[in-house]
Amino acid sequence: MRQLNRLLAAGRTDQNKVLNFTFNGKDYQGVAGDTLASALLANGIDVVGRSFKYARPRGIFGHGPEEPNAIMQIGSGASTIPNLKATQVELYEGLEAASVNGWPSVNFDIMGLIGAFGRLMPPGFYYKTFMYPKKLWMTYEHFIRKAAGLGSSPVESDPDSYEKLNQHCDVLVVGAGPAGLVAAREAARTGARVIIADEQSEFGGSLLASTQLIDGLSATQWVADITKELGAFSNVQRLPRSTVFGYYDHNFLAILERRTDHLGISAPSGPRQCMHRVRAAQVVLATGAFERPLVFAHNDIPGVMLASSVSTYVNRYGVAPGNRLVLAVTNDNAYQTAIDWYHTGRTVVAVVDSRTAPNGVLVEQVRALGIQILEGHGLIEAVGSKRVRKALVAPINEAGSEVTGSVQSLVCDLIASSGGWSAAIHLSSHTGAKPVWDASVVSFRPGESKQQERSAGACKGTFGVLDGLIEGANAGAEAAKLAGFGEGQVQFPTPLIDQIIEQPQQALFLVPHSKTTSRAPSQFVDFQLDVSAAGIELAVLEGFESVEHVKRYTALGFGTDQGKLGNINGMAILAKALGQGIAETGTTIFRPSYTPTTFGAIAGRDINHLFDPERYTAMHRWHVDSGAEFENVGQWKRPWYFPQVNETMQQAVDREGLAVRNSVGILDATTLGKIDIQGPDAAEFITRMYTNSYLKLAPGKCRYGVMLKEDGMIFDDGVCACLSENHYLMFTTTGGAAGVLSWLELWQQTEWPELQVYFTSVTDHWATATVTGPNARKVIAKVCQDIDLASESFGFMDWREGTVSGVAARVFRISFTGELSYEVNVPAHYGRYIWEQLIEAGAEFNITPYGTETMHVLRAEKGFIIVGQDTDGSMTPADMNMDWVVGKNKAFSFIGKRSLERSDSVRENRKQLVGLKTLDPSAVLPEGAQVVNDPNQPIPMSMQGHVTSSYYSASLGHSIALAVIKGGLSRMGDTIHCPAADGSSIAAEIVSSVFYDPTGARQND
Amino acid sequence: MTKLDAQDVILESPLHYFSKISSHPVSSNQLFNGDLEFGVVAKEIRLGCQLNLRGDASDEHFVTGAESVLGIALPTVPGTYQYNSDTAVYWLGPNEWLITSATDALELEALLRSKFEGHIAIIDVSGGQTLVNLRGHGVLTLLKKASVYDFYSWSDAVPGAGRCVQTTFAKATAIVANRTDGSFDIIIRRSFSDYIAQWLLDAGQEYGCRIESC
Repeated sequence: MRQLNRLLAAGRTDQNKVLNFTFNGKDYQGVAGDTLASALLANGIDVVGRSFKYARPRGIFGHGPEEPNAIMQIGSGASTIPNLKATQVELYEGLEAASVNGWPSVNFDIMGLIGAFGRLMPPGFYYKTFMYPKKLWMTYEHFIRKAAGLGSSPVESDPDSYEKLNQHCDVLVVGAGPAGLVAAREAARTGARVIIADEQSEFGGSLLASTQLIDGLSATQWVADITKELGAFSNVQRLPRSTVFGYYDHNFLAILERRTDHLGISAPSGPRQCMHRVRAAQVVLATGAFERPLVFAHNDIPGVMLASSVSTYVNRYGVAPGNRLVLAVTNDNAYQTAIDWYHTGRTVVAVVDSRTAPNGVLVEQVRALGIQILEGHGLIEAVGSKRVRKALVAPINEAGSEVTGSVQSLVCDLIASSGGWSAAIHLSSHTGAKPVWDASVVSFRPGESKQQERSAGACKGTFGVLDGLIEGANAGAEAAKLAGFGEGQVQFPTPLIDQIIEQPQQALFLVPHSKTTSRAPSQFVDFQLDVSAAGIELAVLEGFESVEHVKRYTALGFGTDQGKLGNINGMAILAKALGQGIAETGTTIFRPSYTPTTFGAIAGRDINHLFDPERYTAMHRWHVDSGAEFENVGQWKRPWYFPQVNETMQQAVDREGLAVRNSVGILDATTLGKIDIQGPDAAEFITRMYTNSYLKLAPGKCRYGVMLKEDGMIFDDGVCACLSENHYLMFTTTGGAAGVLSWLELWQQTEWPELQVYFTSVTDHWATATVTGPNARKVIAKVCQDIDLASESFGFMDWREGTVSGVAARVFRISFTGELSYEVNVPAHYGRYIWEQLIEAGAEFNITPYGTETMHVLRAEKGFIIVGQDTDGSMTPADMNMDWVVGKNKAFSFIGKRSLERSDSVRENRKQLVGLKTLDPSAVLPEGAQVVNDPNQPIPMSMQGHVTSSYYSASLGHSIALAVIKGGLSRMGDTIHCPAADGSSIAAEIVSSVFYDPTGARQND
Repeated sequence: MTKLDAQDVILESPLHYFSKISSHPVSSNQLFNGDLEFGVVAKEIRLGCQLNLRGDASDEHFVTGAESVLGIALPTVPGTYQYNSDTAVYWLGPNEWLITSATDALELEALLRSKFEGHIAIIDVSGGQTLVNLRGHGVLTLLKKASVYDFYSWSDAVPGAGRCVQTTFAKATAIVANRTDGSFDIIIRRSFSDYIAQWLLDAGQEYGCRIESC
């Protein structure tokens, strides 16, 4: 086997299952159970990427989400995923990985040559260098991105599918390490609904790499047993490979479950990932802790790792990432790594302990193994280029602030360091809880809880396994009780595990060097963004004091690892530079996402045709079959026009419009909002909502009305029909339907609850076909025998009940075209049937289906406004030249009335609706065009208004437009100009907004 | 044109165009295939009518009048519905109910109106919505995809008194109600029914989803 660092002891891997993979184009082998990182280490790969700013070679440093260096592009083509951490990528057969940093190659690259320019790139470099001139930023950015390498997104659409699930539970346990497992078990026993999620491939957390015995079993066996136990509860949902990435308000948490990422680049079947949107009554956070590396000179050379990572690779993956280990520590805990390494049969050169006379249990075990312990020493510098060759160590003073003796050199190829542990307080921090520094454990602890949650175990700063188990069990029982289950008492016996007594650790972050920090070789704090201790000190020198400012100035914690490795060290160095404690310095705020989340999972299935609902009328399929082009109106799909073979849109609209004017057309008007209004006070209520009065509207009659908001501005319009005494049907605009219903409910419920009236949406109940044109009556007469269609008995703005083609219908004589019109309404089940009956009946008159575009042209010819097109929320009825619709003598006020008398509402020179007739009859003004008096006036020109609607009218033989123009109603006959961006200008005459049949004779026919 | 006979009149239910359309993990064939097992079967139910009823629940006359016509009491507990063999009454709000019935809409409305006086409203919404029964082992998970509502909370519901809720359903809305056989009914708006049918086929694909229209 070529995997020179693979140990005989397999850990959690299966060495019989060999997996082939490629890294930067070369073939390698790993084994089942490996992560990409463990497989690379097994193969002796030292350099896995280049650093962002200085392009320094970097190796694998950690073993989880804290990894700053091994950032990979996985796969290629449509499924390629950028910026995954090799430590979190489970190996599968055929995996393709490439470093995202290090173009053109990790071992030799251009930036590597200019890495020496690091001194020229101080903190704030980007601000200082690339701010000006602004227009060059794109150029700079392109260069920086290419050189730094930020991964590449796929350019094809994602072939995988993603799912979203809404989950509810009584207790959500985050993390399935020792504390989380027992918390879940205690909660489960009470009958509470429990979800336990863990980001790793299997449950166990830190126990997966532990050599301790629990209840007399190996840690991994104990984990297997309790995991199985949890599985036996029907009220427990176990989610491995599931990262709780965000903790939001009201105990809403989001989990990204990676269902198939470990199987291949693309899901073999089913969703690749699932986002669980969890509403939890109570939450137990058991998210563990991150080990802190020590900061020393050239601590970024490949071969420098976290102590716990070395142990994890050895114990869990059966990989020894080197031969000769130097271990630098400030605490007892990390001595375990020396023991683990010793048992691989490889050499522990020395343990370098910053403390004097350490004598804890683990220390003595190491001493007993004959391993050299350098007490009161610091590992001040690593030596090497693409791999560590030596460690420089020196005695340091008790405070850990300066080197006190001569430097000695230790030959090694692996340096592991531990500066203690930092609680993973991220999710607690998402809730707004302010972390609290606790010097006794040299870590932040979660702040006072803002939500229904509690932390347990290492994430609370409780670092011993036994203490974590006790705390976890209590947290599980407590959470269940508060969710309404159990008595809050722990039921299961505390697992038996040796409590290892540890001596106090030293709060050391930056190991001193023989030279000052600013002169010493770079001592890296944030590896991903190349932030060094000297950089933080420089930021302080330049006047930055707040941790949040320093973060932004230096980019500390800005990488995709979000400073999981370096933040606390950075803050400690900052605190020291400011001459204050860490508690006063504080920490930056952690925000979601805890780890990067795919857009696919956030989108789920709300993509393509499911991105936004499409609402169809009952006649929709007929329109599709008839070749209609569709227009979106709100969520509705409305026929826009019905082109015939080889017809342009303009030709189709001309033909449709002429058909209506000269014979008969038919429009699907189903989408108009319809609100059924019943109650003794219905007429009074409606009269308060509209500007005009409905008190005397008799059954069988309809009336057009305009609704205002309190500010007096038009917000909807439509026809209201009196169906019978105390029973009305209100039509709204298509887009305004839901808003109008809410508006009615709002006023009834909050202002006039004494008015007895009920509103119900019947928009979906009715299908509406509008038959319009001079031959409309003849068409209706063929399908409806029980309504007297004669004008004198069924006139304009009347409605009648009758039977149309055997179906009970309501027929309204409402016209939006200015022609004789019948709007036939039937329950929607009959919609398509009635439509086809009308088409058949109209065949002899060449009945022509028309769409919204022709509808717009026809209504503009009549000067009928469209709310939202000719109005924009700043138009009163008077502005629209519709004073006639405002009831001046209503007993009770109506909404918006008072605002119509505001000084601004009555001032001279408000924009008013007028018609525009271009001097060149064929020129069509662009909608939205600005109107000026003199196109040659120097800029800034005095704006007179703008064009709101503009079309070519086939029936009139010239273009028409509606516009709002300052004082327009008193400017009839004036010529105005509409300059275009290209320098041209169209001249037009101000005319009446009614272009066609001004007397209304045709619609009244 | 001569007068049409009633049998010539053609009705199309909201899911008319989805008759026997299916999606299935092992078959890309969108057409119904009788050999496949489906974890989600969405069956549109033909009803006589759906009426929206508004009135004052504290008005004895109104409440007893409704019960005398419907044969069941108006539910007054939020989120519940009452039913018998051919009628169901869903609580929609403190003064609002949905009645589904095998009776014809006009007939039922007239019967109800004859029992009421004062301020009430009855609105025929039969054309505007449709009831779809969802059954199969995939339905509970499918509902988790559709809605933020916690349907598990219904597992302690008392037999005979149904539970219902007006909630979001994917990006539309629905009234969702449970049934004693473990299946669920959804009542959806007609104009959104194509979207919901497409959504059901997509969301139910992993279990196999079949739609049967009425």
